[in-house]
Parts: sequence; C-alpha cells; structure tokens
Amino acid sequence: MAKVLLIEDDSETAEEITAELTDRGFEVEWSSNGVDGLDKARSLRPDAMIVDRLLPGMDGLTVIEALRKENDRTPVLVLSALGAVDDRVRGLRMGGDDYLTKPFAVVELIARIEALLRRPVESRETTLQVGPVTLDLIERTAMRGERKIDLLPREFRLLEYMMRRSDQLLTRAMLLEEVWNYKFVPATNLVDVHMGRLRHKVDGPDETPMIHNVRGAGFILRSLS
Amino acid sequence: MLQVQFIRSNTFRWALAVAAVLAVFIIALFGFIYVKIDHYLIERSDRMIMTQADFIASLPPEHRVRAIQDHLDQDSRKVQFAGLFDPAGNPLAGNLERVPDALRVDAPAQSVKAAQNGRGLVDPLIRAVGRRLPNGDALVVGRNVDETAEISHVVGEALALGLLPALCLCLLAGAWLSLRAQRRVDEVNQHVQRIIAANLSVRLPHRDVDEPFSRLAVIVNGMLDEMETMFHALSGVGNDIAHDLRTPLTRARLALERGRTNATTVEKLQQVVDKAIAGIDQSLAIITALLRLAEIENSRRSAAFGDVVLQEMLREVYDVYEPIAEDKQIRLSVQAAGQIEVRGDRDLLFEAVANLVDNAIKFTPTGGNVEIGLVRGDKQTIVRVSDTGPGIGQQETEAVLRRFYRSDKIRNTPGFGLGLNLVSAIVTLHGFQLLIHPGSGGCVEIVCPDRPKD
Repeated sequence: MAKVLLIEDDSETAEEITAELTDRGFEVEWSSNGVDGLDKARSLRPDAMIVDRLLPGMDGLTVIEALRKENDRTPVLVLSALGAVDDRVRGLRMGGDDYLTKPFAVVELIARIEALLRRPVESRETTLQVGPVTLDLIERTAMRGERKIDLLPREFRLLEYMMRRSDQLLTRAMLLEEVWNYKFVPATNLVDVHMGRLRHKVDGPDETPMIHNVRGAGFILRSLS
Repeated sequence: MLQVQFIRSNTFRWALAVAAVLAVFIIALFGFIYVKIDHYLIERSDRMIMTQADFIASLPPEHRVRAIQDHLDQDSRKVQFAGLFDPAGNPLAGNLERVPDALRVDAPAQSVKAAQNGRGLVDPLIRAVGRRLPNGDALVVGRNVDETAEISHVVGEALALGLLPALCLCLLAGAWLSLRAQRRVDEVNQHVQRIIAANLSVRLPHRDVDEPFSRLAVIVNGMLDEMETMFHALSGVGNDIAHDLRTPLTRARLALERGRTNATTVEKLQQVVDKAIAGIDQSLAIITALLRLAEIENSRRSAAFGDVVLQEMLREVYDVYEPIAEDKQIRLSVQAAGQIEVRGDRDLLFEAVANLVDNAIKFTPTGGNVEIGLVRGDKQTIVRVSDTGPGIGQQETEAVLRRFYRSDKIRNTPGFGLGLNLVSAIVTLHGFQLLIHPGSGGCVEIVCPDRPKD
C-alpha cells in the first residue's frame, strides 16, 4: 500500500483528497503547515507527496527545496491556485515533479499520483514492448505482432508515452502537457482526435483493443496480460 | 521652495558654467593681448637703443660725448639712459655711474639694473645694450620700459569694463531661462494632476511641434490616450465578466435546485450533478481564460523571447490540426517556405496561430478549406489563416475583439468568444499587428514588421 503525505492548509480540501485517496487504497498522512509537513516528510519517508504551495509557516516550494537539498528524491505533486505558466515553471524548477492547478478533477489528481508512483524507468533500451506491440526507438517504427504500423512522428511519440506508462490512466491534460508540450488548453478535442487515429492504426479490425477511452477521465493502454 | 529649486535647476547651473568658461576665456584673451603688446613695446625699445648705440659708436671719438649729451637732453620723459666709460670703467659722459654689473658687452639688449648718476632714486630696471669701442671705451645705451605698467592698467580697465557686465548678463539670462523652464514644468504638472484627479479625456496644450516641451506634451497626450482606452476597456470588462460567468453558474444552480426537489432516483440525481459540474467547469474555464489573458496583457515576458523559425512552427500547427480538420472533412493546407525568423515567444506564437486555425476549422462548414500561409511583404512578414467559412461582416471587424463577443453566424458552435482576445494580446505583446479582413471567407493576418538592423 503506497504511503502519501498530503501537506494542505485548507481542512475541507484536505478531507476530500484524503477520502478519495483512501478509497483507492492509498495510506494518507496529513499535515496542515509547511514546518510540520517537512518534519513528517523526513520522519515518515512517504512514497509520494502532495504539497500545496500557499501554506502557513513555510511555503510549499521551500519545503520541496529543503528536501531536494537533502537529496530526497520523493516524487512531489504541487497543488496550487496559482495557474500562470510562470508559476508552473517555477514550481517544477524548485523541485516539484508535477503541477496541478486548483480546482482540479479528482480523477486528474489520482492519475497523476499513480503516474508519479510508477515513474517509468528511463532505460537505455532501444525497443519497447507492451503486449503484442513493439516499438523500435532507433528506427522509429512500430509493429503489432507481424503487422507493421505506419505512424506519423507525433503518433509515434504518443504511443511511446503510453507504452512507457502502460495500464495507467492518462488524462487529456497529462497528454497535452507531455506529448504536445502545451502550456495552454486548446478549445477543441485535440487529444481525442489524435487518439482516435492512433487507436485506428494500433487496434486492427480483428485484434483485441489495447487503447481504451475511460469515460470522463482519459485513456489507458492495456497490456492484455 | 522656488528659490532653492531655482538655484539647483539644471538650466541655472548650465548658465553658471557658461559664465565661468566665458570669464576664463576673456581673461585669457586679455592676458594674451597684454603679453603681445608688452613684447612689441620692448622689442621696439630695444631696436631704438640698438640704433642709438650703433649711431654713437659710429661717430668719431671726440663727437661721442656731445652726442650722448644731446641724446639725454632730448629725453623729456627721463626714460633714456646712456653712458660712455673709459677702459678703466670711469664715466666720461651720460647719466650712468658705471657699466651695469650684469650687462654683457657686444650682446643683444638685456634687462639690467642701472646704477644712476646723481639721481638719488632707486635703481630702475632698464633694457640696455653695451658696446666695446675701438679705442677701448665702453658705450652703454638703455631705456626704462615701465611703460608696460601703463599698458597693463589700460588692459585691466578694459577687462573690468567688459567682463563684469558680460558675466552679469550671462547669469541673468540663465536665471530667466531657468525660471521659464520651471514654470513650464509646473504648468504641465498642474495639468496632469487635474487630469488624473478628474477628467481623463483632457489633454495637455501644446503650440509649435518643435519646441521640446511641446514634444513632451505630445508624448504625455499619447500616454493618456492609451490610459483612457484601457480604462474604458476595463470598465466594460467588469460587466462582460459578470454576465458571462453568471450564465453557466445560474444554469448549475437551477439544475441543482430542480434536482433537489424532483430527482427521485440516484441515477437522476447523478445526472443533475453532472449538469452542475459541467456548468461550474465552464465558469472555471472562463476564469482561467481571463486570467491567462490578463497574464499576457500585463506580461513582461519579452525577456523569454528568442528567435522563432516560422516555417517550422506553422508546420507543427498543421500537423496538430490536420486530424481534426480531416475529422470534419475540411481540407487543411500549409504554404510556408524559406527560413524566415522573427523574435518572440515560440509557445505564445504557436498558441496564437493554433487559436486562429482552431477558429477557422470550427467555423468552416464540412467540405471547406482552411489554409495557413506565410508571405513576405514590404519590410514585413505576414502569417495568414484563411478559410471558406462565413467570415466576419464589415461592421463586426472591431466588435470581434471585444471580450465574449460571438457573432450570430456562429452562435451554435462551442467556445466563449475569448480566442481572438488571446490572439490579440499575444500579437500586441510581440509588437506585431492583427488584421481581420471582413467579407465572406475568413481571413486573419498577423503582420510582423522586420526588426531594425542593430
């Protein structure tokens, strides 16, 4: 059971988040200010942390900075009402691993925490394999079993991202940030359309579907094991 | 207060400086004149005594005493000195007691102290020339050059008469100019205070365009124009925001209220909650978009500017939107060649063009065309997004840039009318121009003027 430390000063928000996480099988510790939070981080050694930026005592980013100085590499998700691009950049630069602005959908929070906990190992391998799909990272080609999949560069990047995080829920926001490097949210259903095309190419007519659309949440690449 | 400001004012200080330089220059000039005249007079005197000495020396010995006598008799001003001495140095004629001690004989004229014969006065400094005569006698002819003292008096008077008035004039002019400048500044200040306190539409008066204060007034007026525009925009926005946020929030509330009384099953309640969440999400999206807009409009992000290769960026927009266009059976194409670069924030420029393409695809009916183009104009580069949709009416070209404005033609498409605002804000931040061409078939251009070579 993964242990998550939540440092959030608004008790109602904290209660909601704790309830959701607990429902999904996480063990949650809560601290309501920066100083106590830092203390708990050092003593409890959680598997992941959710840190609000605006805290009494010591602000969230300072807590993260302190931990990083002690060579603590615990993955941290920064929560903040400050949503400007510069704020996001700052949050990540100060040591945060991901940044989520309030208000957020719970599904988004959960997906990102899971992604942090199962950070893909950046291996030096030149091929990726998930189920019957293999990716040659040097040649930039993809195969499903014996069938060659013809992909455009962006589609390849999207598939690679999903394969490195197979069986994890990937929200549209995460995909936009990581695969398209968008710092804004476009009005149209960009992700859906591209995902539709990719799905069409990867899941052939008689093949078991691997790319799934989770209604209201995002997408999952299932490894069919 | 006025006094202190006056003395400290730059204009007055400049006047003082000019006066000082003038004084130094005049003194130097007069000094030069004095020295030149002095030299001239001395040279002239020297020539005279040389001539006199040569003349006396040329005379036969027995006439020399007589000549010296005559020479001294003719001297009414008592400035001449002469003396004839035997080889032993005893005086034979003239008004000198002995050969002046420092005098070098048979040399050019020198300044020496004359030992006077029977005058009972202080030995004056004279210019003298000495000659050794063939018979062994020594001849000395000299002249008192105290006249130069008179010259320096005259020069001094001229200096005083001329210099002092000149300096006073300079200072007075400086004082007057300083006061004048001060008064202009006070005027402008009063005006500006009044404008800020009460009426933003008043402007500073200015007369001829070349005078620096008039130029300043023109600049301040320009600033006030902009401020006025912004204030109006801001006061308008408050209303816009309130209205546009209230609509989705009201919808959410209504749904919840109805659901509270009418929903009989959990399923129905869940539907109600979904509607409410949708309404709230829409409000949040509007707020986020507005904040984004504000962030860009107030941004100093020009620090993050770099060189952006337009072709690459436009091709990327094409790549991203091509599937979406295809989905709607719209033909998207990009026409961009060459290596044109502009200075800017790549992400923001991408967002701007993406927004335009997004709009074009949204508002063009199935089967239409959207084209992304890059052309070079006269000292400018133009990014053009055109489509075969309904376009924007002549009267609407200004209105579309108002927040939340949505033309009737596209009322049924999703969006809240902030897209063009965002594009406009980004374009303004970069110092570019946004041109919206009216007519059927949308055509929006971002005009990027060439950077001046620096």
